[in-house]
Amino acid sequence: MTDVAEGSATGVDQSQRAAGARGHVPGESSMWFFVIGDFLIFGVYFVGYMYFRGQNHELFLSSQARLNLDIGAINTVVLLTSSLFVALGTAAARAGNTADALRRFWTALAFGAAFPLLKMFEWIPEISAGLTPGTNLFFMYYYVMTGIHLCHVLLGLVIMCFVIRNLKAPGTPKISFVETGATYWHMVDVLWLVLFALLYLMR
Amino acid sequence: MAEAPKALTASAEQTTSRPKNRKLDQWIAFWTVPFFFNVFGLVFVPLSWMMPPRSPSSPTRHIVDFMHSHNLLVACVILTLAYGLAPVSNACYLMQVKRMSVSPAFRYSMMIGAITGAIVGMLFPMFCFGLGAFRAGYSPSVLTMLYDFGYLAFIGSLGCFCVMWMAFGLAIILDENKILPKWLGYYTIWQYVTELMAAPVWIAKSGPFAWNGLMTFWFAMTLYVSWQFIVYLCIYGAIKSQPEAELDNAPLEPHPAALETTSRTTA
Repeated sequence: MTDVAEGSATGVDQSQRAAGARGHVPGESSMWFFVIGDFLIFGVYFVGYMYFRGQNHELFLSSQARLNLDIGAINTVVLLTSSLFVALGTAAARAGNTADALRRFWTALAFGAAFPLLKMFEWIPEISAGLTPGTNLFFMYYYVMTGIHLCHVLLGLVIMCFVIRNLKAPGTPKISFVETGATYWHMVDVLWLVLFALLYLMR
Repeated sequence: MAEAPKALTASAEQTTSRPKNRKLDQWIAFWTVPFFFNVFGLVFVPLSWMMPPRSPSSPTRHIVDFMHSHNLLVACVILTLAYGLAPVSNACYLMQVKRMSVSPAFRYSMMIGAITGAIVGMLFPMFCFGLGAFRAGYSPSVLTMLYDFGYLAFIGSLGCFCVMWMAFGLAIILDENKILPKWLGYYTIWQYVTELMAAPVWIAKSGPFAWNGLMTFWFAMTLYVSWQFIVYLCIYGAIKSQPEAELDNAPLEPHPAALETTSRTTA
């Protein structure tokens, strides 16, 4: 996603960017290990969910109808916007434009921080209406998967604060660290897209 | 144990009374780990069939039969005896964490997390499962409660282990001495997330999120066992590559810099 956004970023020194992008994995390789493993772990959850959904199709469909699709959709937009600003910020940081990068990462952080808040607006009315993890298997999957994802979001917000601290520090910022943080945040984003499709949209 | 030190320092050669392998303490602690886990596995699975966990919704008759079995009592006694090896295996990890360039708060959290986690997750279940065969007269409802208590304590003891592995993972990631590989830190993050994944055992009584379920037991166990193997291999590498001069039991050298390092590491 960083590459797509970079294409639209203006004022980026083309030659510098080309030199930085050629034949190099963005960020630290240990983060990619984490990303791939995390996809595998969530993948097991997705497969498990699909299997049990196939077994109780009616129950899952009727339970799904009780979710708050509006907040789910708003959260998707919020997270995608946040990811876009992370991509733009990374591009600015690579181009050496630290002031722009900082501004974009602050925006990304603000959008990212809205996600858990909206999640609370979604969860609290549901729980007070008696829709808890104990209600049925659909809601168990729903709370466990969105809960683990929420933990990822919170960790991502902490990482983003470290990225901002890195950009604020005197001297040239560590680009690989910015890229590592961006990689993680895009992963959180991709996971949410799949979760949103599976839990809220699939009929 | 073919890990004889390759390069003996000058000071080691002077003190001839010392045994040559100065990492012997660490290797002993290291080899208790497979011993402990093998005892663990043998007692849990073929001896008592405590694991894989029985269903939380088993009929009372099955629960009573299981709780009365003498093998279960024997298993609990063996585990209560072998339980003392858990601190030794944790010592093995902590010695390496101590070398990392991170706050001591991490290793203290690990230590306390391991202690509290082992009490709740290991000692409590042993007492619960041992009681049924110890005295024959307990009523079925009491036995069912002990059965629930035992399995919930074993599988649902989340917080202590969660914080413990979080401290371990963060210490690896933040460490600048590169004692353990960084990807292991990320792997450890999944390990502590599995503790969170097990939280639904307190709610579900059947299906994939019960304490014998696909997600909370089998999946978490697969992650845990593979993680334990990998940590073990990485710890092996870390002990092997630890320089002799950096050992806690290395003799003090008159060199001021060395003195300073030793006093800092033993603090």
